[in-house]
Amino acid sequence: MKKREERLILGKGQYADDLEFFNMAHLVFVGSPHAHAKIVSIDIEKALALPGVITVITGKEVAAHTRPLPVQANFTSKGWTWRLADVYAIPADKVRWHGEPVAAVVAEDEETARRAADLVEVAYEVLPLAGDLRTALAPGAPKVYDDWEDNKQVHLVFDFGDPEKAFDMADQVLQVTNREGRVTGVPIEPRGCVGMYDTKNDTLEMWGSFQTPFLSRHNIAATLGVPEAKVKINAVDIGGAFGLKIHAWKENVVALASKLTGRPVKWMEPHRDFMATGPHQRDVFWDGKIAFKNDGTLLGLKATVFHDLGVESTNKGIAALSIFPACSSPTNMYKWVGMHVEGIGTVTNKSFYCAYRGYGKDKGIKFIEAAINQVAKKLHMTPEAIRMKNFIQPHEFPYHQINNYVLDSGDYPAVLNKAMEMADLAFFRKRKKALAGQGRYLGIGLVTAIEPAGVAVPNCQMGGITEARVLITPDGSVEVHSDRTEIGQGVEISHATIVADILGMDMAHIHVKRVTSDFIGQGPLSSRGAVYPASAVAKAAKLLRKKVVQCAGSLMKIPADQVVLEKGFLYPASAPEKKISYAQFADKMFFFPGPRGLDPEILKAHDHLLDVTTTWYSPTTPESGSSYTSFCVSADIAVVELDIDTGVTQIVKYVHVHDAGTIINAQVVDGQIQGGIVQGIGEALYEGLNYDENGQLMNTSFSNYLIPTSVEAPDIQIAHLETPSPFSETGSKGMGEAPIIGAKAVILDAIEDALSEFGIRVNDAPATPEKVRKWIRQASGQNE
Amino acid sequence: MPDNSAGNNAMENSVMKNFIGSRAMPDLVYHSPKEISDLLSMVDAHGTSARVVAGCTDFIPSVRTGRWCFDQELNLIDISKMPVLNQIEKTDDVLKIGASVSLTRILESPEIKEGCPVLAQAVAQMASLQVRNTATMGGNICMASPAADTVPPLLVSDAWVIIQDAQGEHKVLLTDFFKGPGRSVLTSGQVLTHICIPVKKANEAAWFQKIGTRTAVIISVVSAAVRVTISNGVCDTARIALGSVAPTPVRVAEAEQFLEGKPLDDQVIAECARMAAQAISPISDLRSSKEYRKDVARTLVKRSILACREALK
Amino acid sequence: MKMPLTFMLNNQQTTLEIDARQTLLEVLRNQGGMTSVHRSCEEGECGACTVLLNDEPVNACLVLAASVQGASVLTSEGLVKNGKPHPLMKAFTDELGIQCGFCTPGMLMNAYALINRAGDNLLTDQVIRKTLEGNLCRCTGYVNIIKSVHTAQKAKLAGEWW
Ligand SMILES: Cc1cc2nc3c(=O)[nH]c(=O)nc-3n(C[C@H](O)[C@H](O)[C@H](O)COP(=O)(O)OP(=O)(O)OC[C@H]3O[C@@H](n4cnc5c(N)ncnc54)[C@H](O)[C@@H]3O)c2cc1C
Ligand code: FES
Ligand code: FES
Repeated sequence: MKKREERLILGKGQYADDLEFFNMAHLVFVGSPHAHAKIVSIDIEKALALPGVITVITGKEVAAHTRPLPVQANFTSKGWTWRLADVYAIPADKVRWHGEPVAAVVAEDEETARRAADLVEVAYEVLPLAGDLRTALAPGAPKVYDDWEDNKQVHLVFDFGDPEKAFDMADQVLQVTNREGRVTGVPIEPRGCVGMYDTKNDTLEMWGSFQTPFLSRHNIAATLGVPEAKVKINAVDIGGAFGLKIHAWKENVVALASKLTGRPVKWMEPHRDFMATGPHQRDVFWDGKIAFKNDGTLLGLKATVFHDLGVESTNKGIAALSIFPACSSPTNMYKWVGMHVEGIGTVTNKSFYCAYRGYGKDKGIKFIEAAINQVAKKLHMTPEAIRMKNFIQPHEFPYHQINNYVLDSGDYPAVLNKAMEMADLAFFRKRKKALAGQGRYLGIGLVTAIEPAGVAVPNCQMGGITEARVLITPDGSVEVHSDRTEIGQGVEISHATIVADILGMDMAHIHVKRVTSDFIGQGPLSSRGAVYPASAVAKAAKLLRKKVVQCAGSLMKIPADQVVLEKGFLYPASAPEKKISYAQFADKMFFFPGPRGLDPEILKAHDHLLDVTTTWYSPTTPESGSSYTSFCVSADIAVVELDIDTGVTQIVKYVHVHDAGTIINAQVVDGQIQGGIVQGIGEALYEGLNYDENGQLMNTSFSNYLIPTSVEAPDIQIAHLETPSPFSETGSKGMGEAPIIGAKAVILDAIEDALSEFGIRVNDAPATPEKVRKWIRQASGQNE
Repeated sequence: MPDNSAGNNAMENSVMKNFIGSRAMPDLVYHSPKEISDLLSMVDAHGTSARVVAGCTDFIPSVRTGRWCFDQELNLIDISKMPVLNQIEKTDDVLKIGASVSLTRILESPEIKEGCPVLAQAVAQMASLQVRNTATMGGNICMASPAADTVPPLLVSDAWVIIQDAQGEHKVLLTDFFKGPGRSVLTSGQVLTHICIPVKKANEAAWFQKIGTRTAVIISVVSAAVRVTISNGVCDTARIALGSVAPTPVRVAEAEQFLEGKPLDDQVIAECARMAAQAISPISDLRSSKEYRKDVARTLVKRSILACREALK
Repeated sequence: MKMPLTFMLNNQQTTLEIDARQTLLEVLRNQGGMTSVHRSCEEGECGACTVLLNDEPVNACLVLAASVQGASVLTSEGLVKNGKPHPLMKAFTDELGIQCGFCTPGMLMNAYALINRAGDNLLTDQVIRKTLEGNLCRCTGYVNIIKSVHTAQKAKLAGEWW
C-alpha cells in the first residue's frame, strides 16, 4: 500500500509550484550582485511603471512592517562566545552576501515580475570583504556585523572524560587535519510557497514546501507581529528537503506581500536563487591530535574545528548550534579516556548555514574515522583490527559515553564483520597488490559509524517537542496526525504500517494526514522521524488500541484481553465467527454508544471516544543530558580505482551494512541508504561551492555544482542487522543521515589507499580529479 | 553551459546589475521558414533584431542567466523545421551535414559512423539525451564556446562550414571560423547552413577524449581530438586539436609537425603530447586551474594518439 | 507576440493561445494543466521537465512552445489510461523508484521512450544509467530507479504495456 506514491506517480502531486489561487500575484526577489556593500539608494520607479507590476518591497518596507527575524537558538547563558545579529528578511542598510535579496517585486504574473526585477535600480557602495575564514578572523578584518567586536560568532569548549589523563597514558600522539568543502543539499525542487492574508479576519494562511510547519508558524508570526493562533502553515507535497526547507525567511516577505497587497502571493524560487541564497553546510577545518597506545588502544583527542558559517541572517543561532554535535560526535562508537574539543564559528560574506543531512554529527565522525585510519597505518594495523579493538561491545549497552550520549544498543563487531564478508576484503586486497605492478591503482576504504538521532537540546527550537494524534473516524477508518512532514522519506508508509499493526487494520484504511502547524512538533530533522514522531504515533495507537479493546470487550461481554483485532475486524478470541468490522464498531461508538451496549464506567470516562492525542519524549535525555536517543550503526566499505594520470576516481564496489533497530519497511530504509550514500559520494568527489575573490558564488547551477548522475552513482550492496532500540516506542532508530556520513568518509579513505604509493593524505574534500592530480604532482615533485 | 564565455550578438548588453535567479524571456516574434530563400530574406529583412536558432539549448539558458539581454523585440528564426537543412549527405569524399541536424541523429547516422566516427564519439559524450535530441552541431559551432565538444573532432578532420547570406554561399575552413570566446566570422544576415567533412580514409584513425569534473553531462575541462594517417609505418599527417584550453578550440601545429614523418612509438608519442601541452596557455576558471588543464591535456593527447595507433594495427 | 498553437497533447488535438516567448514547460503547466511536468533549473540541467516530443525525450524548458506546432507531446499524465497507472508507473511504485517524487515524471518519460526503443533487447544497467544521465535525482541514489526500469521492461515483454 503506497497511497502517496501512487498519487504522485499518476501526476496528482501538489507541489508548491502547482498551487493556484484566485487572484494570485507572483513575487520575485532581486538579489545583490555584490558580496558586501552599502545600499546607497534603491529606485523602483522603472519597475513600478512596467504594466502588471503591483508593488516592490524593499528593506525599508520590511523594517517598517516586520520585526527582526527571531532567535532560534541561544546559548549565551553558558559563558561561551555566542553572538546574534539583529537582521531582517531584506536588509535596508547593507548587503552581506552575493545574492542577498534587496527587493521583492510583486506582479500579476511571474514573467512580468522577473522583467521588473531587472528594472529595480540599486546603487551600492562596495565594502571590503570578509570572504573566508582566514580573512574574517584576521585582526582588523572587515566586519560582517558592524556592532560585533569581530567576526567570531561562536566559540565552544568541551571537555569530555579526562583528556589530560588520556594524553598522559599515550604511547604516541598523531596530528591530523581535515578539510571539508562548502556544500549544499540542494533538492531538485527549490523552495516555494503561497501566502494568503485574510484582511477580514486578520489571519494568515500559507501553503508550501515547509519542512517544519509548526516552527515556521512561530517564526513567521513573530516576524509579522501577529498572534500565532492567527497563522496556519500547511506543508504541501515537497520535492526533497534534507534539512534545507526548515527555516522560514524569504517566506516572511511573501506573507508580508500578501498582507500589503491583500492578495494571495506566490513565490517559487528559481534554482540559482536556491544555490546562492540557500542554506550551505560543511566548510570546516579540523586540526587535532589523537592519543593512543602502541597496541592500538585509542585514548583521547584534542582538537579544534573551525566553521566558516557565512552570514548569520536567516535562522538565528541555528548555524552556531550545529557546532555542538560537530564537537561531540568524534567519540563515535569507541571507548575513550578523554577529549578536549573546541568549536569555532565565524561569520563571512557567504550565504547562510543551516541543516543538511548530518548537521554536525557527521563532521566529528568523518574526522575521527580519518584519524583512526591514520593511527592504524602508523601502527601497521588493518583498519578493521583497530576498530575491533576499540569498539564498545554488545554486552555494554546502554553505554554512557564520555560526552553524555547514552548509546542504546547494537552489535558493532557484527556489523563490521558482515561488511567485510560482503565486500570480499581479502580478495580486493590481493587484487590491489596484483594490479599495482601494472600501473593500476586500486584503493579500499573502510569506515564505521553510529548516527546520533532524535535530537532534543535545550535553549533552542529543537527542544524535542512532538505531538501525535490517532483517531478512528465514525466510518471505521483511521486518521494519523503528527509533525513528521513527508519530504520523500516514506512517512506515510511508516506511520501507516505502525498504526495498522497495532490496531489490526488494513493499511488501506489508514490515512496519514498532511502536516500543518496545527500539531506541535519540530518536524522531521536530525533523523528524529523514526524516534520522536513515530514513537508518539505508536504510543497514540497503543493507547487507542486500549480504548478499542476495552469498549469492544464491554460490547461483547468479554474481558478486554480476549478481544482480537485483526484485518479490520474485532472478535472474541474464543468465537471468531462473531466478528464485527471496524466500521460497525466505530459507528456504534460514535453515534449509538449506549447505555445498553457499553459499561457506564466507560461512558463516564469518555473512553468510547476513539481519539488519542499524545506526546513522546526520550527516556534517556532528561537524566543523562544526551541530546540524542538512538544510535544506528553502519559499516561502509568501498573499492575505487584511480586513474592517476587524470585524477578520475571510479567506484568499483560499494558495501553498506546497517543496523537501525527494528525495520518498519525495508524498502523505505534501503531507499534512504541508497540516496544518502550517493549524496555522500557527491560530497566526496564533485560537490563544492566556491566563492571567487570578489565574493561571487561561482556554482549557482547544476552545470557547475555537480551532484552525481545515474552514471556516477554506483551499485550499492546493502545488508541489515536488527538490534531494536530499547528506548524508542517501536524499536526503530533514526537512520536518515548515517549513509551520507560513511559514504563521504569511505570514498576519501579509499582514494587515500589507492594513492598509498605516493604517501598522500587525502584530507581535503571534494577529491576532484584536479585536486587528485595536484596531490600526485606535488608528491612526485613535478610542477607541470 | 553558457557560464564562462561571452555572447556574440551586437544587441547584447552585458552589464548585469541585479542577481536574479532566472530571467524572463524577451518579447519574440517567431518565424519558422521552410526554404533557404525564405530564411535568407528573413535574416536580411530583420537585420540586428533577427536571431537564428536551432535547438535553443544554448539560446534559452543564455537568456535565463542574463548573459544575453535584448532591449528590443527579437525576431527569432527557427531553422529546426527546415527539411533542406536537416539532411546528412555522403559522397565518396565528403560528408555534408545540415545545420539543423540534431546531435542524436549525428550519433545514430551510419554515414557519420563510417565517414567520421570521431565526431560520433564526441557527440556521444555531450550533454544528455534530452539535450542531444534538440541541440545541433550548427548551434554548437556558432556558439563559439571554447568548450564546444564537436569542434576538436571537426578541426582534426579538416572540416569547413558553408555560410549563406544575401550575397550567396561562402565556404569557410573551421580553422578560420572562430574569433574568440563567443565570437566567430558570422555577421548579422549570415546563416551557417552546412558543415562539410572529408570522409575518413583507410589508412587513418582518429580519437576524441574529454575530461570533466564529473563523467556524465559535463562541460569539458579539456577535450582533445587526434587524427593520424599512416603509410609505411610512419605518420603521414597528424592533426591535434584541443578544447577549453584557449579562447577558442585550437590546433597545436608544432606537435602535429613533430609527429609527421615519425613512427608512432611510445617515446615519440610522449614527446608529442608534451609539446602539445607546452604549446597551450589555458586560463583558470570556475571549472579548473590552468595547471590541471595543461597537465591533463598532455594525457589526453597521449592517450588519443595511442588509441589511433591501436586502431591502425 | 500572442499566437494560437495547435498540437497533439497526450494524444488529443489541442489548441491553446500562447505567447511566442513562452517555453513548452510554461505552456504545458500553465495553459495545458499538465503539472506533472516539473520546473526546477529552467536551463536543461535537471531533466525534471522531460516530456516526449514526437516520441523523443526533450527538456520542455529548452523548447519554445511555438516550435511544437503540429507536433505530438506526451507527458506522464498521458500514460494514465482510464485512471489506471501505466505498467511503468506501477513498476516505479512497486520498486519504490520514487521518494519525493519531484524527478519522477521526467524520469518516467525518459524511461518510457527507452523501453519502447529497446524492443525485445533486454536493457542493461549500463544502458539505463547512460540514458537517464540527464534526469537528476537527489533522493533515491538511482538504485531503485534502475530496478524499476528493469521491472517495467519485463512487464512490457510480458505484454502488459500501452
Ligand atoms: C544540459 C546541457 C548540457 C550541455 N552539454 C554540452 C556538452 O557536453 N558539450 C558541448 O559542447 N555543449 C554542451 N551544451 C551546449 C549546447 O547544448 C550545445 O552547444 C548545442 O550544440 C547548441 O546547439 P543548439 O542547436 O541548441 O543551439 P541554439 O541554442 O539554437 O543556438 C546557439 C547559438 O548559435 C546561433 N546559431 C545556431 N544555429 C545557427 C546557424 N545555423 N547559423 C547561425 N547561427 C546559429 C544562435 O543564434 C545562438 O547564438 C550543453 C547544454 C546543456 C543545456
Ligand atoms: S527544468 Fe528543465 S531541465 Fe531543469
Ligand atoms: S525522488 Fe526526489 S528527486 Fe528523485
